[in-house]
Amino acid sequence: VNKRKILATRAALTLTPAAVSKIRLLLQDKPEYIGLKVGVRTRGCNGLTYTLEYTTEREKSDEEVLQDGVRVFIEKKAQLTLLGTEMDFVESKLSSEFIFNNPNIKGTCGCGESFNI
Amino acid sequence: KKELYRLPERSKPLYIAGQRSFSNASARKEQSGEPSSSEDKVLLTDSCVKRLSEIMEKGEYLRIQVEGGGCSGFQYKFSVDRNKNEEDRVFEQGGVGIIVDQESLEFVKGSTVDFTQELIRSTFQVLKNPQADHGCSCGSSFSVKL
Repeated sequence: VNKRKILATRAALTLTPAAVSKIRLLLQDKPEYIGLKVGVRTRGCNGLTYTLEYTTEREKSDEEVLQDGVRVFIEKKAQLTLLGTEMDFVESKLSSEFIFNNPNIKGTCGCGESFNI
Repeated sequence: KKELYRLPERSKPLYIAGQRSFSNASARKEQSGEPSSSEDKVLLTDSCVKRLSEIMEKGEYLRIQVEGGGCSGFQYKFSVDRNKNEEDRVFEQGGVGIIVDQESLEFVKGSTVDFTQELIRSTFQVLKNPQADHGCSCGSSFSVKL
């Protein structure tokens, strides 16, 4: 009786081409790591800050995002705060960094490292 | 009568004490003023020198400016510059150099410039700034000690 509904599923995190190629480059010569893990920590003047580290295994509670051959895992604690976020990599002569364009945040710190939701 | 006598007695030592502490303070200022003129420097860490030698072409310098802004009142601004002005100070180390203008130098003298590399970001940072009270977690903004 019930018609099967097709639900749209969206990746919790999307990666820009720049982020994909940087992550691929980072993992290229490190076969022991399967991907990067994104998390949030309570730190900074605006409440939260992003963390990024290499990961060797997928933990049960991690959300896996596979895009263009690179894997990014999202810590359980960060899943709600990161939902719908675009991860980008910006490089200039003086600095290079991963930035997160997060639609959920209410405000950021001047430097963009710290945010609140 | 006794009260009248007491009043000048009490105020006299207070006045002397105040004078003493004032002369102490000015003496201290003079003392600290002399060595600080030789410490009006900005140091570079090894990683900063290494990174600058990688990215800078000949004649290019890293300019550090201090501006109002950021969550703590002041923030550091880094840029690449080829031009030195008269009021600029140049600090060279290991074949590379940074430029700090005189006004910004008042805020950053004695500090160390580092190039920090982390997975999430790699960027130049001003560390161990004796003028900075407490900064933002990212280190790009700071407030000044009063």
